Amino acid sequence: MSTPSRDAIVRLSGVQKIYKLGKVEVPALKGIDLEINAGDFAVIAGPSGSGKTTLLNLIGCVDVATTGTVMVDGHDTGTLSESALTRLRLEHLGFIFQSFNLVAVLDAFDNVEFPLLLQGKLNKAERRERVEDIMASVGLTDYMHHRPNELSGGQRQRVAVARALVTKPRIVMADEPTANLDSQTGHQIIDLMKKLNQEEGTTFIFSTHDPKVMSQADRSIELIDGLVASSEVADDGRLDTPQTALV
Amino acid sequence: MITLFRIAIRNLVANTRRSLLLGGAIALVTVLLVVLSSVSNGMQANMLRVGTTLSSGHVNVAGFFKLTSSDASPMVTDYPRILKTLEDAGIKGKNIVVRGRGWGKVISDVATQMGVLVGIDVDKEKAFQDVVQVVSGDLSKMSEPNAVMLFEKQAKRLEVKVGDDVVLTAPTYRGVNNTVDCRVQVIAKDMGMTSGFSMFMNHNVLQKLYQMKPTHTGAIHIFLDDEKQADKVAAQARKALDKAGFTLMDPVPQPFFRKFQSVRREDWTGQRLDVTTWTDELEFMRKILQTFSLLTYVFIGVMLFIIIIGVMNTMMMAIRERTREIGTLRAMGMRRMWVLGMFVIEAGVLSFSSALAGSLLGAGVVSLLNAMEFKVNEAFQLFLMSDTLKLMLDVQTAVVAVAVIGTVTTLASVLPSWRAAKKPPVTAIQHV
Ligand SMILES: Nc1ncnc2c1ncn2[C@@H]1O[C@H](COP(=O)(O)OP(=O)(O)O)[C@@H](O)[C@H]1O
Ligand SMILES: [Mg+2]
Repeated sequence: MSTPSRDAIVRLSGVQKIYKLGKVEVPALKGIDLEINAGDFAVIAGPSGSGKTTLLNLIGCVDVATTGTVMVDGHDTGTLSESALTRLRLEHLGFIFQSFNLVAVLDAFDNVEFPLLLQGKLNKAERRERVEDIMASVGLTDYMHHRPNELSGGQRQRVAVARALVTKPRIVMADEPTANLDSQTGHQIIDLMKKLNQEEGTTFIFSTHDPKVMSQADRSIELIDGLVASSEVADDGRLDTPQTALV
Repeated sequence: MITLFRIAIRNLVANTRRSLLLGGAIALVTVLLVVLSSVSNGMQANMLRVGTTLSSGHVNVAGFFKLTSSDASPMVTDYPRILKTLEDAGIKGKNIVVRGRGWGKVISDVATQMGVLVGIDVDKEKAFQDVVQVVSGDLSKMSEPNAVMLFEKQAKRLEVKVGDDVVLTAPTYRGVNNTVDCRVQVIAKDMGMTSGFSMFMNHNVLQKLYQMKPTHTGAIHIFLDDEKQADKVAAQARKALDKAGFTLMDPVPQPFFRKFQSVRREDWTGQRLDVTTWTDELEFMRKILQTFSLLTYVFIGVMLFIIIIGVMNTMMMAIRERTREIGTLRAMGMRRMWVLGMFVIEAGVLSFSSALAGSLLGAGVVSLLNAMEFKVNEAFQLFLMSDTLKLMLDVQTAVVAVAVIGTVTTLASVLPSWRAAKKPPVTAIQHV
């Protein structure tokens, strides 16, 4: 267990999440205490059904805990209204999805620009510059006006990464971002995320099965059956062979 | 916001089949509304033109004369004084014609024909000459004494042709039947209802028939520049005539031939004037038009209802398909209202563009039907007073059609869109 730290950007204490399927109650998270620091490149590992997605949803403010508190960037998400949560997501969080989730009818540029339009802070020229910059850093300058169905899986996920980062969020959530990609492409995406983590200082929290991907993280949380089985910080910024590897 | 429009249009294009189906249905309803309104307008215009030429002015001053309390003649005594009174009151109109009126029958060797008798001075009736389509004979011959004009169907029934003699007979205000020998000078094309029971003749025939003095007539028809002023002018005329000492009948919205019965039963004698408008005299036309409009609206209403269900259903489908997209946008921080707006815009773009297309298409159909000089069947001719269906499209109707249909179908999308907006953002991740 890590000791409480002052620059924790995410702090969970006593978090339970119970899904109700009709009359059946499914406990997905059974009491999580957790801190993630700003600038972390954190991986959530664990077997399928262990609660990774549920945990990311809570941190990502798209769902709320049944009991316990979830603090994100200083806000207790359990006390916020639906519209305050929406605002928090818009201003401070970014999402990368397993199946990319791009808007099919918009081209890469429009997809990446969309969060900026929702924020409504930048003018057209500023948006263009911002989008072009981020597209350059994900290496898609030449694919700006391709629709998602004209892009490969890796390229789509790059667009998704660009979309998540274009608003310069404090935290980017990624639920198994490489699960739909071949391993080489997957590693490229992780490398890209790592690069942006280091350049921009953005906190990344992502889940994965892949031991190689896990080794990139400087913070690792292993979930088993809705509980934190192990949580460690790599001293050298890199974790060695994770104990959790499902080899 | 332009991007929402872009998303809307591209989604509509992406779902070509669905958009075409729904848009086509919306367009079809608009076409029907535009065409049916044009038919209604055309009917109204034609009925008004023909009706007001054949059987009524826009405003009429007529009335009944009762020699005894049990009879009634459709007659106005001393019409020059009435004309003077109207003139003094500043009622001019476009044209004023004076016609004899009666109720009687025409008898040929083989049959009789009952109906309204109208005495005209054909030389002074330019509009009448324009409206009547002569089949045989010569309209100018109507200025000859004892000239009668029959419509085709009447002539056929009576088995007479131009040049044949017929006998006119009618009960007069003296309580006896008078007869006048007449000659058929013109046979005219049938003109709907009116031609079924109206017979036109030289004014002198009615004067003989009813033994009227030269200052007696049947009715004074006032034609206005704008028929919508009829009620106002009628009120004006009523006031002026009342002031001049004429006795007036209470206004009843009925044609004069429907008033015989009640007037005959009323207990008074002498002259009473009846000021009516074209909507009173052409009561049956008003009813036909009202019925037609009602049917049109009911029909369009039912169609719209079906479309509303269709729109809601289609939106539900689209929203179910796009659950993940909605969740993603919500997770990214899109507000509920924006999600609602996104879908309403999509429905709105489809609705208004389809309604607009339908309206233009409807206008095309209207001009095509007009160009084809679409012939209507006989039953319909009766109402239409013409054998061709002339449609009239006014821009206002088309604009209203687009606005109403566009708005209604867009509104139908609000409920499903609201459901979309309420989808929790977590569906972005969970929905497979
Ligand atoms: N919406 C849901 N309703 C009911 N049960 C759910 C729901 N989402 C997840 N679960 C259950 O919660 C547990 C954790 O799921 P999840 O967080 O998706 O795990 P992971 O992402 O690690 O595979 C599983 O047992 C799963 O079946
Ligand atoms: Mg999962």
